[in-house]
Amino acid sequence: MGVIKKLPVYLEHFPGGGIVATSLDYVLSQSQASSIWYLLFGTACCAIELMATGASRYDFDRFGMIFRASPRQADLIIAAGTITKKMAPRLRLLYDQMAQPRYVIAMGGCTVKGGPFYYDSYAVEKGIDHIVPVDVYIPGCPPRPESLLEGCLTLQKKIKKQKIGDWS
Amino acid sequence: MDKAALTKYILDKFAGKVDLLDTGKVEPVFRLESDFLLEFCRAINSDETLHIDFLCNIAGVDTGERFEVVYSVASVKNRIRFDFKIAMAYENAEVESVQSVWPGANWHEREVWELYGINILNHGNLTRFLLPDNWDQGYPMRKNWDAPDFVRMPES
Repeated sequence: MGVIKKLPVYLEHFPGGGIVATSLDYVLSQSQASSIWYLLFGTACCAIELMATGASRYDFDRFGMIFRASPRQADLIIAAGTITKKMAPRLRLLYDQMAQPRYVIAMGGCTVKGGPFYYDSYAVEKGIDHIVPVDVYIPGCPPRPESLLEGCLTLQKKIKKQKIGDWS
Repeated sequence: MDKAALTKYILDKFAGKVDLLDTGKVEPVFRLESDFLLEFCRAINSDETLHIDFLCNIAGVDTGERFEVVYSVASVKNRIRFDFKIAMAYENAEVESVQSVWPGANWHEREVWELYGINILNHGNLTRFLLPDNWDQGYPMRKNWDAPDFVRMPES
């Protein structure tokens, strides 16, 4: 019962067992936040940092984050790397193919505001928030794995607060 | 054949039609007129001393006053390489395709056409290559190109 005592639940003890009463919102959002599967979407050098975060030293799996190669089973897109104007419709397509609730993390300067390609570039989309709604922005070029982990924890906090029907 | 000998050979062989533009750090750069281009390419390709069998690159240049197209060529057999350049005015800029000499020119020429708007004559497949298929904003590598979300680096 150690874990259950920490939860905001109403706990009634009966001889030989108990009844746990809690809100469905709470259980669902806790479950979602603890198993965010992210879509493999590395388009540039930020993907290397994403791989480093997924590897043993930083160990993404601690947060239940496992990569998926298919948008059907993914909850999150970590847009790691430059999104060109040619890539932008593909990103939107992948986002549309994901099941709700779905989340987007913009990782790195390129996805936040064009990054080093802000000036003098005809090919790069200046911020992926023109294409898909973004939940968490992580600046950096590329961000360190610590930054990415911080961004994911921020997303977890956001997911834990939401109620059913808040999905976008 | 070293650089000096190569320069002398080409200038002698095509006297009056090809000028030396720059001796270059590594390879010499020549200049020729665009109506002589195809003939020149065929000649250096079939010449036994030169035997230019490899087209490294075709590059477009917008100097702000005119267009230039730069061809980098090499001979794998004779281990020589050089560049040559043709210049043209902005209006009705066009250049002959060199695919009949080096078939690999196809993609390079599509790129030049797409980014600079230099028309390639007798190309055969002048379709979008690097830009999105629905691109309608003109030729982005031109000096005077502009678009709604295009930000130019401020002069510092």
